[in-house]
Amino acid sequence: MEVLSSLVSLALIASAIRVTMPILLTALGAVYSERGGVVNIGLEGIMIMGTFFGAVGNYFFAQAFPSLVARAPDVAPAAGVLAAVLAGVVFALIHAVVSVTFRVNQIISGVALNLLAAGLARFLNILLFTQATQSPGVRGFTPIDLPLLRDIPALAPLVRGISPMIPVGLLLVILSQWVLLRTRFGLRLRAVGEYPLAADTLGVSVTRMRYAGVLLSGALAGAAGAYLAVEQAHLYFEGMTQGRGFIALAAMIFGNWWPVGALGASALFGYFDALSLRVVRLPVPYQFINVLPHVVTILVLAGFVRRAQMPAADGVPYSKEEE
Amino acid sequence: MRGRLLLLQIAGPALAILFGMVISSIIILAIGRNPLEVFGLMVRFSLGRTDSLFSILFKSTPLILAGLAVAMSFRVNLFNIGVEGQYYIGAFFAAYVGFSLRGLPAAVHLPLALIAAVLGGMVWGLLPIVLKLRRGAHEVITTIMMNYIASAVLLYLINDIFRDPTQVGTPRVRTPDVAAAARIPSLAALFSPFGLTGSDVQKLNALLLLGVLLAFVLAFVLARTRFGYEVRAVSANPEAAEAAGIPNARIQFWVFMMSAGLAGLIGLNDILGFFGYLDIDFPKGLGFLGISIALLAKNNPIGVIPAALLFGFLDRGAQGVQFFARIPKETIVIMQAIIILAIVVAYELLTRYIRAQRKLEAEAAAPVGPPAAAEAEP
Repeated sequence: MEVLSSLVSLALIASAIRVTMPILLTALGAVYSERGGVVNIGLEGIMIMGTFFGAVGNYFFAQAFPSLVARAPDVAPAAGVLAAVLAGVVFALIHAVVSVTFRVNQIISGVALNLLAAGLARFLNILLFTQATQSPGVRGFTPIDLPLLRDIPALAPLVRGISPMIPVGLLLVILSQWVLLRTRFGLRLRAVGEYPLAADTLGVSVTRMRYAGVLLSGALAGAAGAYLAVEQAHLYFEGMTQGRGFIALAAMIFGNWWPVGALGASALFGYFDALSLRVVRLPVPYQFINVLPHVVTILVLAGFVRRAQMPAADGVPYSKEEE
Repeated sequence: MRGRLLLLQIAGPALAILFGMVISSIIILAIGRNPLEVFGLMVRFSLGRTDSLFSILFKSTPLILAGLAVAMSFRVNLFNIGVEGQYYIGAFFAAYVGFSLRGLPAAVHLPLALIAAVLGGMVWGLLPIVLKLRRGAHEVITTIMMNYIASAVLLYLINDIFRDPTQVGTPRVRTPDVAAAARIPSLAALFSPFGLTGSDVQKLNALLLLGVLLAFVLAFVLARTRFGYEVRAVSANPEAAEAAGIPNARIQFWVFMMSAGLAGLIGLNDILGFFGYLDIDFPKGLGFLGISIALLAKNNPIGVIPAALLFGFLDRGAQGVQFFARIPKETIVIMQAIIILAIVVAYELLTRYIRAQRKLEAEAAAPVGPPAAAEAEP
């Protein structure tokens, strides 16, 4: 009974929402990239860059402008998030150049990106902090209470004292769903992912749309990394992404390549992630609790991927002259 | 045309390596050092000392196996990113056979340990490939997840179940010692008549020979056997192969198993060839390096050997510049990643160029006259 009640407590759900965010943001990014027809396995590496630059941007901004930060402490974490988003875009640009412009196999490009990120983070950390694996501690955003909902006592752990990035992330889901379904940009992006030749014939630049999708995925994965470093751990340390970039890809697939679906799937992973952080009294060795999200990822891919409808041209490089 | 093609094939990797050097030079300049000095030091340290040469061979040994493992899966359009986890499990299987059995002759014990390693790799590769073929679960993500699970399993096995009882109370977390009969023999005896001794010579073991042998065997199998023909058919055109009665799924399954089995051997260079036990801090990341090596070698088993030697050289050189010039060895890791990005772009451009050339040649060789009539025929 004790085990059971600890599986569904409100505190656990609050914790699940917190750990859902990095997976959700990256999964949203993956939706943009793959809707445009580009598989981005490099999101894990981009997340690593996000964690690093999130902490670094935050730390050095606070060092450089102490008086400003004293008056408005949230500026430093915001600078961290911005730095992480920029770093994510730059990294995604590499993926776009290699896989869209040069039409190299997208999986290979992504894998190389992950190797690059791991090495680069270590290298830069040594340069800045004289050691390879950890940054100094940083301050997160001031926690907020959600307006309207904050007065419902039953919901207190979910709506009071939460990271401002959480409501922003949830709004991004709705925004992304609307963008993909209703806007010109979204329709064009999907057209390029489904049937690039037709889109091309109608005057939509396949290259430009695919770049847009990949760069958006970089921005979102960067922000996801920043969330991990700035809001959750309050520092960068090596290996802190723990494969969440890959888990996010699974969440996107499970969510059927739609933002709202990705939210549901990310929440599932977030739940098991939170469980793996929290439940220590289960009669299972702790090493296995830690990999619960990874096990769930495999189960999800094995059980549900068949029903999914991926964009028809996902993963297929497009070239005018060869069609 | 032929001579020029060969030249281009060599120019591709050379240009990619050069590009990697240029980017690393920029990084080295950015930290206020002279790239020429650093590269000079790297070459002198790696190639100018016999202990370095032996160290490069030792480091290259698992890289050859890792490169072969990844290359095999790439050959059938599968991405086995799980080589990393497969070798963790293979290493444990081999260590277990090594420390749990006693009194066997080396002629039995060592082969048993090798077989155990191969089986361990295969066990860990089985789930992803079955889920891929049966359920359509993308092998890239499932194998990566299996890597994380492998670390957890290994930590559990070494720390909680099979920890050497004599080490409890010390910070060492490792298995008991492997029996001498299960150790891979050192090659030092071959070199001692030439006055070559030392710890780096001692480390070099017969697994290197096995790796090189396997590279040639795989090259032969791919080029000359029926199975190899089927693999090439599936690789070149899966639909056509299927139509010709070559079952894609079966070929993919067995090649993936070969890949995972090869992966199982990677850890043995350190576990059975050097340490003689499995420590929680045994060398990791070799499976990921295997991806780079397979890409560099264009999935050619023979090409894996020089690619692995290059990475062994870079790794040794990185140690040198870190020790003597105080340049973080991660500079070289970045260089490796840049080389990979550059090489895949170079190969892609090369393939496209060759295709265009062939097309031009075919058009030039075609008989004079409008081909429109010929095309109109069904």
